[in-house]
Amino acid sequence: MKIAIASGKGGVGKSMLASSLCLLLSKEKKIVAVDADVDAPNLHIWLGQKENWDLKKEISVLEKAVVDKSKCVGCGACEQICAFGAIEVVNRKAKVNQLFCEGCGACEVVCPNKAITLKEVKNAQIRVKKNVFGFPLLSAQLYPGETGSGKIVDELKSRAEKFKYQTMVIDAPAGTGCPVIAALNGVDRAILVTEPTPSGFADLKRVLQVVNSFKVPWKLVINKWDLNPEKSRQIKAWAKNHFLGKISYDQNIFKALSSLRPIIKTDLPAKEEILKIYQELLKWWE
Amino acid sequence: MGKLKKISVTGGKGGVGKSTVAILLANKLLAKGKKVVLLDLDVECPNDYLLLSQKLTTPVKKIWAQFPKLNKAKCTKCGLCARNCRSQAIFMPPGGYPLFVSELCSGCGLCWHLCPEKAIEVEKKIIGEVFENKVSSNFHLITGRVVGVVDESGPIVTKAKEHGLKIAKRLKADYFLVDTAVGLHCGVIRALLGSDLSLAVTEPTPLGAHDLRLILDLLKKLKIKAKIILNQADLGDKKEILKISKERKIKLEKEIPYSKALAQAYSKGKLKEVNFW
Repeated sequence: MKIAIASGKGGVGKSMLASSLCLLLSKEKKIVAVDADVDAPNLHIWLGQKENWDLKKEISVLEKAVVDKSKCVGCGACEQICAFGAIEVVNRKAKVNQLFCEGCGACEVVCPNKAITLKEVKNAQIRVKKNVFGFPLLSAQLYPGETGSGKIVDELKSRAEKFKYQTMVIDAPAGTGCPVIAALNGVDRAILVTEPTPSGFADLKRVLQVVNSFKVPWKLVINKWDLNPEKSRQIKAWAKNHFLGKISYDQNIFKALSSLRPIIKTDLPAKEEILKIYQELLKWWE
Repeated sequence: MGKLKKISVTGGKGGVGKSTVAILLANKLLAKGKKVVLLDLDVECPNDYLLLSQKLTTPVKKIWAQFPKLNKAKCTKCGLCARNCRSQAIFMPPGGYPLFVSELCSGCGLCWHLCPEKAIEVEKKIIGEVFENKVSSNFHLITGRVVGVVDESGPIVTKAKEHGLKIAKRLKADYFLVDTAVGLHCGVIRALLGSDLSLAVTEPTPLGAHDLRLILDLLKKLKIKAKIILNQADLGDKKEILKISKERKIKLEKEIPYSKALAQAYSKGKLKEVNFW
């Protein structure tokens, strides 16, 4: 069973919920946790872990175009094909903007003089930790200025497959683009998280397009419910039987986080609400 | 009027208040009589229009991209396209024709240039839209938004930004404010490039500190001048944020305390009326 937690909007509580569910699930099942927010991975912090990883490894899941200037005649075929605006002919030589190159290889194919080759770049570090709760967490950090976050998520998921697990919990990043698509691709269930604001609701509907395109069954958790109870009720009514549960807004969560205490290890009201969500989740899975 | 000043608002972490800060800054500049164009380049999840009670109705610009479409009559099932697709968006069922998985396709064009039989045709699809809202006489909002499920949203950011710059010049705006997406990915980089100054918004938690370091690394790499804005400054613990500011010699420009009035204005789409800065 693979389950992903997603939201569209950032900061609505994905990692808080994912970390809590990991702790609860790990008491009953063998789990592996994947932090798919490779731009800004935070799941380990919610699990109370500092940067003390068991394993850190630089990986290369992307290639980028490199021009051999001695072969380039400046014909511009590469500039024309590049869908990402990453090549420009300057002084009759093709120049690759490394910040924009997606490593698709289209330029390599169209170059009549074989002046372009694709070379591997080290674009991320992956990290693994078997944590104090007894389950492995896989996380990665995209190097600032590099691209390829979707491919890094694919790599994390395939490495997570090598662990013996009953449930893989994937904490998706914000947004709806390639790393979110990579996180949701192939999962059995999705839990969507939102907050009762116009932005939270709008972004929920946007990420739902991705969830629906993969035909993944989903449930909804409304976090910070009492921030705007009227809006919360409106979203709950909209979600119909997809509604799974709610979590109240609590400024003490900030404090728990600051002292690296997982929410499920506190006495905050959110803990009871998450336990209830967990019970509902188990019923849904049966 | 002088040169157009370009300021981006970013943050690495989601939900720290990037859009709120962008709008509060716009309000402050408007109160000084400046002409402001705000560009929402969180194209996957643009929300500034909601915070300003605007509607996105008719796009002023549509952004097209090309995608592969198979002509079965010409296809010999050689599998060259599937083997070479780096997005793994082409699936070759045993004995069958290649299947294009549109959700994973970046529209790079490799497959149709590679196909020896010219069996892959090109289909144009709209992947993004640009909207323009006149919020008030001196305040224009430009929004870039992805249409449907799009793997690669970077080009939408670039096109929306080009359009926004054109409008800013036409209106003779004083300020060009760019609100970016979360993270460090190519959509964020494309939005940040060209800024005279970038405001990195954060919150006083270990998460905020962790992601602030990352976005400051990115801004340094892009050679963009940065300042820090600490939102909800009185919640959590701001020690770590102050440490980052000191270590990196990056000014903590502004601390915004938690405010129920601000949270409510956010949740009701009434940020335009808030003067908090």
